[in-house]
Amino acid sequence: MTVAPPAQADRRYDLNFARWVRDNVNGGDKMSLCMQCGMCSGSCPIGTEMDHGPRKLFMMIRAGMKDEVLNSSTIWNCTSCYNCVVRCPRGVPVTYIIQDLASKAVELGYVKKVENARFAKAFWWSAMTFGRTDERLVTTKFYWSGGLADFFRKSLANLKIAMGMVKTGRMHLGAPHKIKDRKGLQAILAKAAEIDARESKGGES
Amino acid sequence: MANQGPTSQTILVVGGGIAGITAAVEAAETGYDVILLERGPALGGRVAQLNRYFPKLCHPTCGLEINFQRIRKLKNLRVVTMASVADVKGDKGNYTVSVCVAPRYVNAKCTACGACAEATEMEVDSAFNYGLSKTRAAYLPHEHAFPMRYVVAPEAIGTPEADKIKAACNYDAIDLDDAGETFEIACGAIVWATGWEPYDPLKLESYNYNLSPDIITNVQMERLANHDGPTGGRIVRPSNGEPVRKVAMIQCAGSRDRNHLPYCSRICCLGSLKHAAYVREQYAEAEVDIYYIDLRAHDKLEAFYQRVAADPQVHFIKSKPASIEIDDDGSPVLHGEDTLTREMYDRTYDLVVLATGMKPAAADGYAPPISVERDEYGFIVPSLDGDGGIIPAGVAAGPLDVSMSVQSATAAALKAIQAVGPRN
Amino acid sequence: MSDRKPGVYICRGCGIAEAVDCDALETLASGDLKVPLCRQHAALCSEEGVAVIGKDVADGTVNQPIIAACSQRVMADRFDFDGATTVRTNLREWVAWARPAGEEDTQMAAADQIRMGVAQASKMKPPEPRVEDGLSTRIMVVGGGATGLSAAIEAAAAGHDVLLVEKTRELGGWSAKWSKRMPHRPPYRDPQDNDIAALIDKVQSDKAITVKTETTVAETSGMPGKFAVSLVNGASAATETVGAIVVATGWRPYDASKLGHLGYGASPDVVTGVELEEMLAGAGVKRKSDGAAPNNIAFVLCAGSRDPGHLPYCSSVCCGTSIKQALQIRAANPEAMIYIIFQELRTPGTAEEFYRQAQEEGIVFMKGKVKSVGSDLTVTVDDALLGQEVPMAGLDMVVLATGMVPNATDPDKPATEKGTDQLANDIDPVAPIARAGNGEVDSPAWPAAAPEGGPILNLKYRQGPHLPMLADGFADSHFICFPYETRRTGIYTCGPVRRPMDMAESAEDAAGAVLKAIQAIRSAEAGMAVHPRVGDLSFPKFGLDICTKCRRCTVECPFGAIDETEEGYPVLSPTRCRRCGTCMGACPVRTINFDNYNVQMVSEMIGAVEIPDEFSDKYRILILACENDAAPALDMAGINRHALNAEVRVIPVRCLGSVSMLWISDAFQRGYDGAMLLGCRSGDDYQCHFIKGSLIGQERMKNIGETLQSLMLEDGRAKAVEVSIADSAKVGKMIDEFVEEIRGYGMNPFKGF
Repeated sequence: MTVAPPAQADRRYDLNFARWVRDNVNGGDKMSLCMQCGMCSGSCPIGTEMDHGPRKLFMMIRAGMKDEVLNSSTIWNCTSCYNCVVRCPRGVPVTYIIQDLASKAVELGYVKKVENARFAKAFWWSAMTFGRTDERLVTTKFYWSGGLADFFRKSLANLKIAMGMVKTGRMHLGAPHKIKDRKGLQAILAKAAEIDARESKGGES
Repeated sequence: MANQGPTSQTILVVGGGIAGITAAVEAAETGYDVILLERGPALGGRVAQLNRYFPKLCHPTCGLEINFQRIRKLKNLRVVTMASVADVKGDKGNYTVSVCVAPRYVNAKCTACGACAEATEMEVDSAFNYGLSKTRAAYLPHEHAFPMRYVVAPEAIGTPEADKIKAACNYDAIDLDDAGETFEIACGAIVWATGWEPYDPLKLESYNYNLSPDIITNVQMERLANHDGPTGGRIVRPSNGEPVRKVAMIQCAGSRDRNHLPYCSRICCLGSLKHAAYVREQYAEAEVDIYYIDLRAHDKLEAFYQRVAADPQVHFIKSKPASIEIDDDGSPVLHGEDTLTREMYDRTYDLVVLATGMKPAAADGYAPPISVERDEYGFIVPSLDGDGGIIPAGVAAGPLDVSMSVQSATAAALKAIQAVGPRN
Repeated sequence: MSDRKPGVYICRGCGIAEAVDCDALETLASGDLKVPLCRQHAALCSEEGVAVIGKDVADGTVNQPIIAACSQRVMADRFDFDGATTVRTNLREWVAWARPAGEEDTQMAAADQIRMGVAQASKMKPPEPRVEDGLSTRIMVVGGGATGLSAAIEAAAAGHDVLLVEKTRELGGWSAKWSKRMPHRPPYRDPQDNDIAALIDKVQSDKAITVKTETTVAETSGMPGKFAVSLVNGASAATETVGAIVVATGWRPYDASKLGHLGYGASPDVVTGVELEEMLAGAGVKRKSDGAAPNNIAFVLCAGSRDPGHLPYCSSVCCGTSIKQALQIRAANPEAMIYIIFQELRTPGTAEEFYRQAQEEGIVFMKGKVKSVGSDLTVTVDDALLGQEVPMAGLDMVVLATGMVPNATDPDKPATEKGTDQLANDIDPVAPIARAGNGEVDSPAWPAAAPEGGPILNLKYRQGPHLPMLADGFADSHFICFPYETRRTGIYTCGPVRRPMDMAESAEDAAGAVLKAIQAIRSAEAGMAVHPRVGDLSFPKFGLDICTKCRRCTVECPFGAIDETEEGYPVLSPTRCRRCGTCMGACPVRTINFDNYNVQMVSEMIGAVEIPDEFSDKYRILILACENDAAPALDMAGINRHALNAEVRVIPVRCLGSVSMLWISDAFQRGYDGAMLLGCRSGDDYQCHFIKGSLIGQERMKNIGETLQSLMLEDGRAKAVEVSIADSAKVGKMIDEFVEEIRGYGMNPFKGF
C-alpha cells in the first residue's frame, strides 16, 4: 500500500513531496533529471488537452504543489504512446511517472474530483468484472459517479450518439458481454496484485 | 626541412585545422622541427568552412592568412596534405608513425592556373559546401586554399573526363596513376588535433531533416552565408532561392541529449546568435526565432549575446522543439511547447537551422592507433604529469570554441616541446 | 648595397603570355630600366624554372631576382634563394587573371608591375639582424595562484629558470582556500580533490624556480630578452633580469557590499560563494547568526554578473562552482534542501555531466530572476517556469555566487595619473555593437571609467605603465585567433586576468602563455620579430640627424617599442618591435626606415609607374593595400577572375599604419589622379594584426584633405577604405566606384609637370 505523501506544505519548493515522488512513484527517482526543455509536452499528441503537461507537472512536483499535481488532468490524459520517453534528452521515464502518479492519486482518494479518473475507474471495473468492456455499462457507471444531476445531464447530452451506436451495432442492450472463464481472470488479477505487492515491498527494502 | 630529417625530437601534428595549424606553428617558432599532417587537400579544417567568427563577426581567413604566412616563413615546418596516420608504435621520445597519403592526382607541378577545371563538365558533390552545391571534378579546394593546388575527384579517375583533365594541363601536373604512398616518420611527440564532425542530423528523427531542403544544419548555414559558398553569400531558401523572412534556429540539435551527444557542444548558442546576425544583416524585415534550453554565452561572449538580443526582431523561445513537419507548400513547421508561456506552438518558417553539435573525429574512427585514454564520448583525456607523448589539442580534447582551441593547441605545443626535451 | 645585381624573370605561364606581350616586357626591363639580366620562362615555378634562377644566383650573376609571375603569397618556398633577396611582382592574379587579354591597358599594367618591381629592388637591402647583448632565458611569472604556479612549473619543465613573484605571504591564491575543485577528468561527475598543495610543493621543490613571496614589481624596463624588473620586498629592493614575463595575477571576487538588493549585509546568513568556500574548507557550513548547520539553502547565481549595473560579462565559473558547493553540502547533510536559482544554466562541454549529477542528487534548479532577498532570508523569485512570483520562505542560508573581477590592475596600489590617462584612452567605450543587423541596436553598458588601482608591472614605457586592457577590464588579447597577442611584446597574460576561466582552463592557459614567452626569448636571441611578422630580421632605423623630436613615432607605436631619450629623441627597444612600420608612416621627415621596406622604396615604386598624359583619357589611381588582408582579397579576386580596374596600380604595404602621407602627396605631384588606402577594420572589433595600425593609418588620412587643398585638389581624391580578406567578390566594385568618383573630379591638373 502506498505511503501517504506529506501534507501540502505552506511554502513553495518544500521538497518533501518531491522526495515522496522520488521514493514512491515508479520512475520517480529519475524525475530530478528533468531540465525543463519541454520536449515531452511538445511531443505529447494530446498535450493541448492537458492542464499542465508533463514538463510543468515535474516543476510543480519540485515546487511542492501536491494537491495541484494529484488533481491534475495531465496524469489522466496520458495515452501511453511513449513519445516523450523515447525523446526525453535526459532519459526520464515520463510515461511511467505519470501513470503511477495516476494510480497513486486513485489510492489516495484524489480521483473524486477528476473526471478522467472516474472514467478510468468505471472502465477498470468493467474490465475486471466481465473481462471485457461494455460501453453501455462503463458510460452508465461513469455518469452515475458524478452524481444524479451529472448523470441526467450527460445521459441526455449523449443520447443521440448512444442511439446511433446501438443502430450500427457498436453498442448493445441486454446482458453484458462476458468472457468465459471469469474465475480464471480473477485468479490472474489476484496473482498480479500479489506480485505487485511483493515487488514494491522488495523495492523498498 | 633544413636539417637532416626527422629525429626523435621531431614533433608530429595530426590534423590541419585551426588547432593543428596553431600547435604546429607555435612549436616550430620555438625552433623545433615539426611535421603537420592534414587528411584533406588543404589546411584550415572546419574553420576554413566558416563564414565568420563570433563575437567579432570577422572572417576566419584573416587569421588563417597570418598562419599561412607563418608557415611559409618556417623552414623547419613541413606540411603534408591528403595524409592520415595509419599506425603508431613506440613511446614518448621515440615514436614510429606510418603515414598514409591518399592520391590527389595532382602533383607539386600544379600552378593553380585552373585549366583542368575548365576542361571538364563533370561535377561532384562539394564536401566543402556540405553538399549544398556541386564542384567540378578537378577543383581548387577553395579560393583561400593552402597549399594553392588543385585536386582531381576520385570519381573522375578511369573516366574519359580524367583524360580531358590531364590533356588540359600545360605543366604535367596531373598524375592519373597517383596511387598515394605510405611512409614512416620518426618523432618524439604527437599532437593529436583531429577536430570534429558535425553531428548527423538524420539521427534526429523527429526533425525530418531529409524531408525539406529548407531544414539545414548550422555548418551549412555558414556556407550559405559565405561569399565563396553556393549562393555567393545570399541567405535564401535552398528549395526555391527565395529570400527568407522567418528563420528558426534550433539549439541542442543532438547536444545535451542522452540519445545523441550527452555533453554540451559549447559553440552552438553563439553560432546561432551569429547566424541571427547574418540573417538580420541581409534582411531588414526578417524575424529570427532561437529555440533554446539554456543560452550559453560564456565569459566575455555574453556581450555578443546581449548585442544580438537587443535586436527586436530576434526572439528567444525557451523550448526544445519536439518535431518538424512539412506543410502542404513544403515549408517546415515547428511544433513544441514554449516552456515560459506553456503555449503549444505550430510555427511555419522559411528556413530552419539545426544547431547540430560537435562529435569528436576521434570518436568517429580517427582516434590515435595507439593506446590513449578517452572518455565515453571519444574525447582524448590528457595524460597526467606529462608522461604521455600523445597530446590532444582542440576539439579532440573537448568541445571548444576557436579561441579555446587555439589556447589548447598553444598549450599542446608546449607539452610537445617538453616531451621531446631541450633542443639538441 | 653597392653590389646590387638585379635580374628580371618573366613567367609566361598561367595565361600571362596569352594576356600580355612578354617580349615587350623583357625589352622594357633590359632597355629603359637597364636591368642587366632579363629572362623569360614558360613556368618559372617548375623545377627547370627555379633552376634557371638558382643558377644565376649561384654563379653570382644575380642577387636580386625580380620574379614577375604570381602573387607573393604562392610559391614562396621555391623562389627563396640563399644569398639573394627575392622581389615578387604580380603579373598573374593582378594582371593576367584580372584584366582582358591582349588589350593596351593590360599591357600597360604589366609594364608598370615590372617597373615597380625593379624600383622596389633598387631600394632594398637584405636586413641585418640586431641582436642585443646580455640576454636572459629566465621567465618571470607574476602571481602565485593556480595559474602562476602552473606557469612556473611548465616553464621549468621546458628547461627555463623561473622567477615567481607573489604579492602575499602564501602561494596558492584563491584556490588555496578551496577544499574541492570542479571535475575536469572523466567521468566529470564528482567534485575533485583540490591539488593546489601538490602544485605548491612542486614549485617549492623545483630548483629552477625561485619563489619570492610578499614581493611586488616596482617597475619594469627593458625588452624581451632582457627586461629589468625591480622587485620590492618590504624595505628591500632588488633588480633582476628576465627574458619574458607571464602575468597571472588572477581575479578578485566582486564586491558583495554593492549587492544590497540581494540581501548582502541585511542578514549575516547571506554569504558569498567565497565565504561559503572557506566554510567548506574549514569547520563546515554553519550559519553566522547562530552557528547552526543550515538545512534550507538557496544559491543565487549571476550575483553581480551579467548585470549592466555591475559586471556586464558572464563570470563563467559560478554555475559550476555553485553546483560543486551544493554537492559538498549535500554530501555532508543528505537531508538539506538546496536550490540553485539561475537565469541561464551554463555548464558548457562535459560540465553538463556535473549538472546532471547535481540533479540526480536532488539539488533543485529554478529558472528565474531573484527580485529581492529579505533580512529574514525570504528570497523572492520571478519563477520563469511556474510563471509566478514565488516567495521562498524558510531558508536558513542564502549564497550569492558573486563574479570575477580581473586583476588587470593592482587594487592595492594607488592609481597614477599617467596610468589612468593611459587606460581611459585605451578603453574605447564605443560599444562593439552590431554593424550587423538592420535594426537599431542598443549597446550593453560598460564600466564608464578606467578600473581603479595601480599598474602591475609599472612599465617604464612611453605608452604608459599598464598592460593594455579591453573595455570590460580584462587584459588585452586578440581573443579569437591569437589569444596571447598583447601589445607589449614578451609579456603574456593568462588565467582569469585575461578571461573568466576555471582552474583547469587556467592551467592550460598558463602553458600557452609560457610557450609564447619561450618564443619571445628565442626570437630575441636571433634578432627576429615575433608574431605576426615571424622571423623578420628587419627593424626600423632612425636617422637622428634630421629628427625633429616631434614624437609622433613614440606616440603612435602600437607596441610601445619606442621610448624617448631625455632630449626627446626616439630610442627603439628592438625586441619589443613587431615591424609593422607605423613609426615609419608617422615620421614627417622620412627618417625612419627598414632595410627592406622604406619610405624611399615605396616612393620609387610610386614614381616608377608611367603616368599617361592628360590627352589619353587614362587615369592612374594609386592603391596602397594591406598585405595581410586587402592584398590577399585582391589575389582571390584574381583567382575568381573578377576584373580589376584598368586605371589602378596596387602596392602592398605592411600595414596601413606604415603608410607615409608623403607618399600620397608624392603621388599627386607625380600626376596620379587619386589614391586609395585599403586596410583592415579598426575599432573595438579591430581586425588589424598590428592592433592600432589600421586605425592610425585611417586617422592620418583624415588630415590629408589639407594637403590636397594646398595642392588645389579635391579632398575626395584620397580615401581610406576598410576591406576584409573575405571581400574578394566586392573589392573590385569598391575600387570601380572610387575610380568613378575620381573621374567625376576629372584629371589631376599636375599631370605632365
